[in-house]
Amino acid sequence: MGRENLTVVDSALHERMDTSPAPHPGTAVIQVENVSKIYGSKNPVRAVDNASFVVHEGEFVSILGPSGCGKSTLLRIVAGLHSYESGVVKVAGHAVKGTNHEVGVVFQTSNLLPWLNVTDNMMLGATVRGADKDATSAKVKGLIPTLGLSGFEKHFPHQLSGGMRQRAAIGQILALDPSILLMDEPFGALDALTRDKLNVELLRIWQEHRKSVLLITHSIQEAVFLSDRVLVMSERPGRILHDIRIDLPRPRAPASIKADPRFGQYVAELSHIMGVV
Amino acid sequence: MSTQAIPVPGGTSPSTTSSINKFIQITLFWIAIALIWEFGVKALGIRAFVLPPLSKVLSAGWQNLDLIFDNTLVTGTEVLIGFLVATVAGILLGLIIYFSEFARRTLYPLVTALQSMPKIALAPLMIVWFGYGMSSKVAATLLFALFPIVIATLGGLSSVSANLEEHFRALGASRWETFWRLRVPAALPSFVDGVKIAMPLAVIGAIVGEFIGAEEGLGHLITMATSSARTDLMFAAILAITLLAMLLHWIVERAGMLVWWRGMGGQ
Repeated sequence: MGRENLTVVDSALHERMDTSPAPHPGTAVIQVENVSKIYGSKNPVRAVDNASFVVHEGEFVSILGPSGCGKSTLLRIVAGLHSYESGVVKVAGHAVKGTNHEVGVVFQTSNLLPWLNVTDNMMLGATVRGADKDATSAKVKGLIPTLGLSGFEKHFPHQLSGGMRQRAAIGQILALDPSILLMDEPFGALDALTRDKLNVELLRIWQEHRKSVLLITHSIQEAVFLSDRVLVMSERPGRILHDIRIDLPRPRAPASIKADPRFGQYVAELSHIMGVV
Repeated sequence: MSTQAIPVPGGTSPSTTSSINKFIQITLFWIAIALIWEFGVKALGIRAFVLPPLSKVLSAGWQNLDLIFDNTLVTGTEVLIGFLVATVAGILLGLIIYFSEFARRTLYPLVTALQSMPKIALAPLMIVWFGYGMSSKVAATLLFALFPIVIATLGGLSSVSANLEEHFRALGASRWETFWRLRVPAALPSFVDGVKIAMPLAVIGAIVGEFIGAEEGLGHLITMATSSARTDLMFAAILAITLLAMLLHWIVERAGMLVWWRGMGGQ
């Protein structure tokens, strides 16, 4: 239905800013169609209700919603970690059956192993997936400066700040080189300053690696700052209520973007939709 | 920035006592204990067969050094063999109960029942089954040390945080990879705790076994000394048991330090 409209906006965007990682209209890497999820059999709780959305290749999409609305459940369904009752979920063109090597998941908890140092933790995912050890090692060596972890290669998780732990966790997933990045409130446990800083770094990394990203967040500012599109979910049972294109120039620097009146307008609009104001 | 502990030059540790002073304090404490024992017993007129002065205990130990050494070796061997068998069997039982639904329904309640029964009640049975030799003491040691290790292994394997399990699932890790890279290292701190509890219990098991029926060992030496009213020799044997137990405890503590990530689960 809205496909033509999106295509028009996409090409308009592409014309305006050639630095933008142009979404290829039509190449959907995540397709969710009428997906419902019900927990429990005795007292069934409908967590997700007929959710439908699409993430295109190279696109950065956020799902915004009140806590408990089923947005994390939706992400886990796409990741192949949760089953679902009805509907269709396709990742990279294939129906989701269990976890998929095209996908890397970053969780709210950094999930580093306390007995491994930063380098070994970043190598863990690829090792578990059976990747070549030398190639992974080289990849991790290249990622460490990008993530601001130089000098901390041999440090253990308990010797790092929360922000650094989360950067190492993101590094572990980037070392897998997935084409799709699923992030479940990756900065939700961090203080506002660290969060802003990591948002900027995430954008830079995303622009370098050009992955398709689906990010779950409850921060309106974060969603607007990072995304090409923001999907707004309802209270439980979660439905996708709005699909809002964030038409802000890229690359985005925090100072210029937040000074842009459109940034404020998007935040105000989303706040209004979510009933914050 | 880094939160890594950086040693502060000049030392601003909360305690300003130097290590030499600490050593002097500890030495003085033990000298005081020895003096109170030695002269307290004499001053209060306590008879030697009730509580001999320290000098008599030491001289009895010195005169029977060979006897005490040989018996310590016997008890030490029993403890070590029983403890090692308990460790291996404890790990195996823990793994079986962890992995098998059937074992969790059948074997686990049995293990819990045996854990809560006083093992000392079974010690005479060990003599009946395995005779007066070393094997009955090893069996008694095993009986005392086994259950804490089973429970700790099981507890450790089940203690993996749900977040890390989900993370491994999302990585697409196989059962084997998850077991080896996540479950085993995560279980080690709890396992080490179990071993620390089991070690002194193993010593108790060996001594109890020797009390009930033996021809050698420190427990046997104590019963022999008691029956001939040699309280000084009995105290010397108790001292030897204490030193043996302290040595074994120290070894276990040292080995346990290799598992330094205790209390640092999912970060």
